[in-house]
Amino acid sequence: MRVSLICGLALFLLTEVVSGGDLLPADRAIEDVVDREIDAQLLKEKIKPAAQADDATIVRRLTLDLVGRIPTQAETREYVDSTDPAKRVKLVERLLNSPGFARHQADSFDAMIMAGGGRESMRDYLAQALREGRPWDRQFREIMAGDESKPETKGSSGFLKSRIKDLDRMTSDVSSVFFGVNVSCAKCHDHPLVHDWKQDHYYGMKSFLSRTIEFGAFVGETDYGTVKFKTVSGAERQAKFMFLTGKVVEVSGGAEPTREQRQELKRRSDEAKKKKTPPPAPSVSARAKLADVALQEGERDYFARSIANRLFARFFGRGLVMPLDQMHSENPSSHPELLAWLARDTISHNYDLKRLIRGLVMSHAYSRSSRWESSTSAPLARMFAVGAVRPLTPQQLATSMWVATTDPNSLPADPGLDPKDSKLEPLADRARGLASAIARPGEEYAIGVSEALLMSNSDRLQDVLAESGDRLVGRLVKIKDRGEQVDLAVRNVLGRAPDAEERKLLADYLAKFEGRGAEGCRRLVWALLSDSEFRFNY
Amino acid sequence: MADKTESIKLVKELSRKEMTFAIAPVEAGRKMLLGSADFHVYEVDFGAEKPEPRSLGQHESYVTGLAVTNGVAISSSYDGTLIWWNLATSQKIRTVNAHGKWVRKVVASPDGKTIASVGDDMIGRIWDAETGKKRHELVGHAVTTPTHYPSMLFTCAFSPDSKHLATADKLGQIRVWDVASGKTVATLEAPIMYTWDPVQRRHSIGGIRALAFSPDGTKLAAGGIGKIGNIDHLEGMARVEVFDWKTGKHAIELSNDSNKGIIERLIFHPSGTKLLALGGANDGFVQVIDLNAKNVPLSEKLTTRPYDATYDPASKLLTVSGHNKVADYALTW
Amino acid sequence: MSDRRRGSASFCGSPEHGIGRRAFLGGLAAVAADMTVLDVLKQPAVAAELKKQQKRVILLWLAGGSSQLETWDPKPGAPTGGPFRAIPTSVPGIQISELMPKMAKRMGDTTIIRSLNTKNGDHGGGAKLMMRGRMDDPSLRYPDLGAVIARELGQVHSAVPDYVSFYSSTEGRDFAPGAAGFLGSRYSPMELTTSLMPENIRRPDAISEIDHAERAELREVLSKRFARGRSSSELGAHNEAYARVRGLMASDKLFDISKEPQKIRDEYGPTQFGEQALVARRLVEAGVPFVRVARAWWDSHGQNFETHQELVPELDHVMSTLLDDLKRRGLLESTLVITLAEFGRTPTINASLGRDHFATAWSATLSGCGVKGGTVYGKTDAKGQSVTDGQVGAPELFATIYRALGIDHQKNYFVGSRPVPLTEPDTDPIDDVLV
Repeated sequence: MRVSLICGLALFLLTEVVSGGDLLPADRAIEDVVDREIDAQLLKEKIKPAAQADDATIVRRLTLDLVGRIPTQAETREYVDSTDPAKRVKLVERLLNSPGFARHQADSFDAMIMAGGGRESMRDYLAQALREGRPWDRQFREIMAGDESKPETKGSSGFLKSRIKDLDRMTSDVSSVFFGVNVSCAKCHDHPLVHDWKQDHYYGMKSFLSRTIEFGAFVGETDYGTVKFKTVSGAERQAKFMFLTGKVVEVSGGAEPTREQRQELKRRSDEAKKKKTPPPAPSVSARAKLADVALQEGERDYFARSIANRLFARFFGRGLVMPLDQMHSENPSSHPELLAWLARDTISHNYDLKRLIRGLVMSHAYSRSSRWESSTSAPLARMFAVGAVRPLTPQQLATSMWVATTDPNSLPADPGLDPKDSKLEPLADRARGLASAIARPGEEYAIGVSEALLMSNSDRLQDVLAESGDRLVGRLVKIKDRGEQVDLAVRNVLGRAPDAEERKLLADYLAKFEGRGAEGCRRLVWALLSDSEFRFNY
Repeated sequence: MADKTESIKLVKELSRKEMTFAIAPVEAGRKMLLGSADFHVYEVDFGAEKPEPRSLGQHESYVTGLAVTNGVAISSSYDGTLIWWNLATSQKIRTVNAHGKWVRKVVASPDGKTIASVGDDMIGRIWDAETGKKRHELVGHAVTTPTHYPSMLFTCAFSPDSKHLATADKLGQIRVWDVASGKTVATLEAPIMYTWDPVQRRHSIGGIRALAFSPDGTKLAAGGIGKIGNIDHLEGMARVEVFDWKTGKHAIELSNDSNKGIIERLIFHPSGTKLLALGGANDGFVQVIDLNAKNVPLSEKLTTRPYDATYDPASKLLTVSGHNKVADYALTW
Repeated sequence: MSDRRRGSASFCGSPEHGIGRRAFLGGLAAVAADMTVLDVLKQPAVAAELKKQQKRVILLWLAGGSSQLETWDPKPGAPTGGPFRAIPTSVPGIQISELMPKMAKRMGDTTIIRSLNTKNGDHGGGAKLMMRGRMDDPSLRYPDLGAVIARELGQVHSAVPDYVSFYSSTEGRDFAPGAAGFLGSRYSPMELTTSLMPENIRRPDAISEIDHAERAELREVLSKRFARGRSSSELGAHNEAYARVRGLMASDKLFDISKEPQKIRDEYGPTQFGEQALVARRLVEAGVPFVRVARAWWDSHGQNFETHQELVPELDHVMSTLLDDLKRRGLLESTLVITLAEFGRTPTINASLGRDHFATAWSATLSGCGVKGGTVYGKTDAKGQSVTDGQVGAPELFATIYRALGIDHQKNYFVGSRPVPLTEPDTDPIDDVLV
């Protein structure tokens, strides 16, 4: 059958039962459980993982992952030079509590939630939620049915708004973004192999969303509207309000509106558009009901597993289940117990994102070297035996370019003294223009030739490579000794000291620019910025 | 601002399947000619209880204009021709291949001796009303727009003394010609009536669609549409500009907030102090402009989207031909 | 971080990948694989063979939705027909709108498909459908026609770009941006919006030729050092992208119409559409397999006839000049010229004398490579309201395009282990219009 050929491999049913008895105790630290489960599998497959990365790499990795930029020279030096055994905990705490955390995580969540949603952004809402440490379940409720007239939930409807003209996409994206389940295949047919999975599930999810309407500049919801669908045999069926687990809930209303009701709605919508006020709430919100059922005990595993898996993927380069929206029995997790434990832990700690992130990045598995030194071929990525080489997002890259090309003397010598990062945070804002030139934000982003051309020829790099003011190039030209120039440039851009070979290579390169030293410095910094080492989180 | 002396009221409506682009009274009476999108020229007695249009014959495309003089009617069409009709016998007198492209309008001079036509070959032509012989070719309107696209010559009007003819094009240029010599005597510009969108949609919309001389011949009114943001639609403000055409000075520029769309027809009040403007986007409107007070004492929606209209001062009836209706309105102004 | 991207990345690394990049030169594949196109072109015999065999596409994308009634499927005299007449063409029995007298004289190389029923009358949905041949399935982003052609007909290490897209008007540009979908960014278009010259393709004056080259070499040395012991498909893509920079910069002349004789420039005319069509010809001549020239914006809800009076003669002129020019150079038999939009326009004329969106019965054309010229496929009723014969949708049209270019329309790509055929299974091309 045609459709099954297309969709046949995308099975989806969550049958892995979270069985508390099989899991490590709930009171263990997240990082310990991550390491225990990953190491157990490495041991089973007789793989000796890569060594822990050096301190310079770890501080770079953590700073990029948590606040979306490379560390300054001072930050790197402080970390590398410190002999405090708790230095990593302290660094992570500082980063988690710095303003860059909410900014960068908002960018990351925005990319996750708004993927493929065009140019709209939910960044403002997400940044506010993350700054306050709002739990993920609450964010989900607000994204589904937040009151936009309240300041704390302003902008929460962005997800729905960007999909309002395509209910099928909204259905599919709600399932995939929040539950890690891609239900789109069940639109046309019951699942051919997993008999529990029916069109009813797809149309069940759609029912919850089907009352969503555009209301002026806001997203509204009506009191009526049900979904009918045709089965493969051609019979017409009325969809129930059914969650992915099969749980059916009653939602009142449903009678088709009369012509007058429709006209009245249109009139109110036009009026609201003029007044720019949000729509009146429906007497029963079907979307709020969806959030209720999805977060109920017994039904909430999809939600918890999905966020655990997505955050794991964010910091390890791949999820415990891949692809991220294919969490079903035919596509088992690489580490099922770990995923189940993380999901349980997330639920029992009130969906605290910061806590989960802290745990993940404190693990040893997180901080392995990305270089496979052994003569044997590198193990499969799902073993997490070696650090991942992950491309920076356009925003991470652009912000890092600004940091890398700022004269270290103009930045604070002691990173702990300015908790507001008042010198560094503005660089992230300055970088937004360059970031948008590197690529349109969104899920489709990948490194392509347009980026290489931009880096090679665009005048957009003029500002970062300027000789004046607080720029690195300006500082370099004032240095007489080539070795010193090379040392400063490499430390500032790559966050480490050059090795002997590089020192010679780069000094020889600079020597070619006799009499036009500024040009030499600019070219050198350019080569460091466009080099793969800078381009990736490794 | 509303003046109670102005009013308009629907009297009679005739449904049409097609668009009726042109209307002209046969004589001072209720008999009308209609120029239709089904290519036919119809005669209809609007005084009848139930008006029944009767075809005189047809062109090979949309009929765009009608002129009546001395028992003869002349129709213009997108097929490039003008046809002379004998109204007494309802017979075709002659077909003239008048323009190399689509003919947009034909008008008769008040003295009945001359016919003028305009078409998208951007040439105005003056004809002998009786013989159909061409007297002059009026060459001067730009054939292409500044961005190299074909322009259009939409409309023309005679002065009350029949000595001058005004023609107007897509770019908002009006040329006034001496009928006897065929030479340009004045050039006026209303560039706001033309919107070229160089960035978003890269084409144009607009143009002057209506012209009318004041009864004393000193003023020339032009109608169209103002600048448009989204040129997919006629979403601009309807626009009227009135010139003292001999000096080239603007007497009035009017862009009325309440009416969106393009002005298709302008008619001066016999007193010369008021101007009637009809037009629309998807819906039709009529407005009365008080030229002395420089205000709009009447602005009403019409039951049809108008393309042409004729006003009879004696009966005070305004007959409008529109998208799928022809309608009589009692007009007080 | 994108799981979807990972899917495509692992796809690109699969063994299928190597086979998938079909050796379009047949026996010449071994030669081509080691050389850039420009090197190959230095050998006259090889160049001639290349020119003969390599197939290419120019898509004239009539964004916003041109009217079939004012172009390829006139209905003169019908109440829906509008004011323009139909005129006979060089092929007896075929009539097109009087707004296209030049194409009327050149119907011999063109086939008109009058029976598209694509059902989607929304700009965004329609544009995606007609650029990709199908709608995205939420778990899979499909590549558009340009990306597929780039992959099928382009060369792996091509020095020229393999998918170039002009879209200069801003309206509708985002409805269907060039999309490589699961094929990955290697097949994303080089998009030109504000200028005839691609962005960042020219070396800035502030850096000398030698500095630019040496700087790139230094970058490469540093990157290679970093890559030791590390693997990631993105790492590969990063260095591959930089490796193409110098070659692409050398193709800047292709975009420079001042290199063209004045006579030819005059033929194409002064409009932006004409100039872009001329660049398109220069590009396909140099081996670029896919060029889209978008002419926006045809969305004539008001004043349909005046809009078409303005835009159709330009299309008529540019298209006929392009076909003549390709033919004169011996390129038409290997170049497929397509006119297509997201949909057509309603037969019903609204009160603004406009026509609205209409996907139920509309037209597209194919000229040149692989198609039977001088034919009309399909039929609409007397008023143009519905298809009465030969109804086809986007999949059939795409299958026809692929087959005209010698590409198996049922060929599978693999996304992970999931086979994805170029067109949905059971889709038949329109054999009647294929040579």
